[in-house]
Amino acid sequence: MIYNYETLPDNDNLNNYSYCLNVVNQMIITKGKMIAYYGMLRFEAIGVNLLDLIVQESLNTPRYGNNFVVVTGQGKLVLGDRACEIASYDLEDAHLTVKASRVLAFSPSLICQESTLAGYLTFLGTGQLIASSNGPVVFLEAPAKVDPDAILGWADLPSPSYHYDYEYIKDVFSAVGSLAGLKKSGEERQLNFTGKGTILIQSSEQ
Amino acid sequence: MPTYSLVNYKMLAIALAKEEIFAKRGSMICYTGKINFTRSYLAGGGVQNLAMREVTNEELIVMRARGTGKICYGYDGKYVTIIPLRGEMLYIETDSVLAYDSRLQTGTIFQGNQGGVQGIIKGVASGQGLFTTTFSGSGEVAIISQGDAIALEVTQKEPIFVDPNAYLGHKGMLTTQFVTDVNWKTLIGQTSGESYQFKFTGQGTVYIQAYEREKKP
Amino acid sequence: MTSFALKNDRLLQVALDNEEILATAGSMVACSGNIKFEKALLGGEGLFGVLKRKVTTEQFELMCVKGSGIVYFANKAQEISILPLNNEKVFIESNSLLAFDKNLKTNVAFAGIAGATSGQGLFTTTVEGIGHVAVISQGGILAFEVNGIYPFCVDPDAFIGYQGNVQKEFIFDVNWKTMIGENSGESYQLKFTGQGIVYIQAAERPRPKS
Repeated sequence: MIYNYETLPDNDNLNNYSYCLNVVNQMIITKGKMIAYYGMLRFEAIGVNLLDLIVQESLNTPRYGNNFVVVTGQGKLVLGDRACEIASYDLEDAHLTVKASRVLAFSPSLICQESTLAGYLTFLGTGQLIASSNGPVVFLEAPAKVDPDAILGWADLPSPSYHYDYEYIKDVFSAVGSLAGLKKSGEERQLNFTGKGTILIQSSEQ
Repeated sequence: MPTYSLVNYKMLAIALAKEEIFAKRGSMICYTGKINFTRSYLAGGGVQNLAMREVTNEELIVMRARGTGKICYGYDGKYVTIIPLRGEMLYIETDSVLAYDSRLQTGTIFQGNQGGVQGIIKGVASGQGLFTTTFSGSGEVAIISQGDAIALEVTQKEPIFVDPNAYLGHKGMLTTQFVTDVNWKTLIGQTSGESYQFKFTGQGTVYIQAYEREKKP
Repeated sequence: MTSFALKNDRLLQVALDNEEILATAGSMVACSGNIKFEKALLGGEGLFGVLKRKVTTEQFELMCVKGSGIVYFANKAQEISILPLNNEKVFIESNSLLAFDKNLKTNVAFAGIAGATSGQGLFTTTVEGIGHVAVISQGGILAFEVNGIYPFCVDPDAFIGYQGNVQKEFIFDVNWKTMIGENSGESYQLKFTGQGIVYIQAAERPRPKS
């Protein structure tokens, strides 16, 4: 299969690891994730000029603002992220939280805010979000306990809390843990999701 | 009986009903239900195992999960393969073992040309050999590999040579031997340490991955 | 023509019948039959090859594989694509080559502006003639047509190769520069015009640390 401007899909995967965005007006993408494009596209860093008007509503995150860039113009843009699996999420009146390092692009119609859990971004509203994952994304209904490294995000759920395994706590209290220099692995500490909603899990640790 | 299934090519799901399962440490992704995790050691006891524990240490630690519910396992973006065993003996490179349960008997052996405990230590130091976990009985073993695990058939007619760094495991009536190919040695040079090959003769299956593990320093 | 086949996405299977191929040193993972391996140098690299080896940290060495039997090749579990060449010429990033027919003609070229020392350029091997080339990539190669209607730009770190009558230029886009940030060193793009095909992968090669 040889792609050209016409045969490239509009907003769809080329394979598991690459995604083609049809840029019509604006799109917010993460720096360094563009691998190729056709057409007349301009890339502008946040906070340069009038683009702020576009993003002041949608990009409400001082901490991660620098990770993003606004693409304007008309063209087809291919995203890739270290050969990780890429998926697109069509959000409708949504409340979705995603690991910040996994966000590749989103439409300016969404509102992006920092989650209370460090390292995560929450997306509110209606629009498109593109994120990568290590292995295909698995959807799991809460309640469940998940290795923090394998989490991609969660939808319509309250922020999770940490659950420590009993053996681990016992080790810590008996000071054996500190002596042995215990490293926390997924078996010892998990994110505990309660309530009703969906958890997005990568098939492997980050 | 714990049931094994693949969620996708990188994730394994195991359902437990008041049962237990052993899995590679750090491979648990998520679980539902009531499950407890404790540390355990791969393989049985014995003097040889003690010697091995000394030279391999970390690799032999596994996590035992016990309870009722469903657990998902995945490791470092590697592909998961479930190998069913019906009474035969399976050899798997210890680092590539993801999960198994107590229906199978496990052991650890050192595959190399030197014998005895001293030979093991010498073999490990020189990189001339591999630690392998053996499984026998009837049940399932889940293994991980970089890319999917590739099964190569070995027949009486044709022995096969495998780069030990790409070797995952084998089963069947096979004789293994470490051979040093002088030709190969001069070609690759000292630096890469790739001076020997694994030779399999007989009848069986050899599993390899399309990836060469880096040598431990 | 030697028989090149994919055992799976990441494993190349070559059946040799008293034939000879070239492959990157250390890429053999298994073999059966009567196969010999010998050291080889990339064809026609000459003096330039020595220079190249000095500036690139990586050892790009080839081995000559000959005899009769089946040989399996792999590299770091990367995806493998086989390009059949029928009297064509293809330009491939040297680090992305895995194996090719012995009777194909190869040459090494350096394409860049700022020079090899800054890492702002690419070492490209040209492969020409009739035969098979096996190319490695992370996540498989994607082929894009360049046809003169729309310019086509790629991230040089994701670039694998091209063929046809294609002109390439490095563009330093000021906007692009601010976008990428200093630390990644990714301050330029590769722009292709003309008529042909460009190959890329869905991953960025890590840059050599300076």
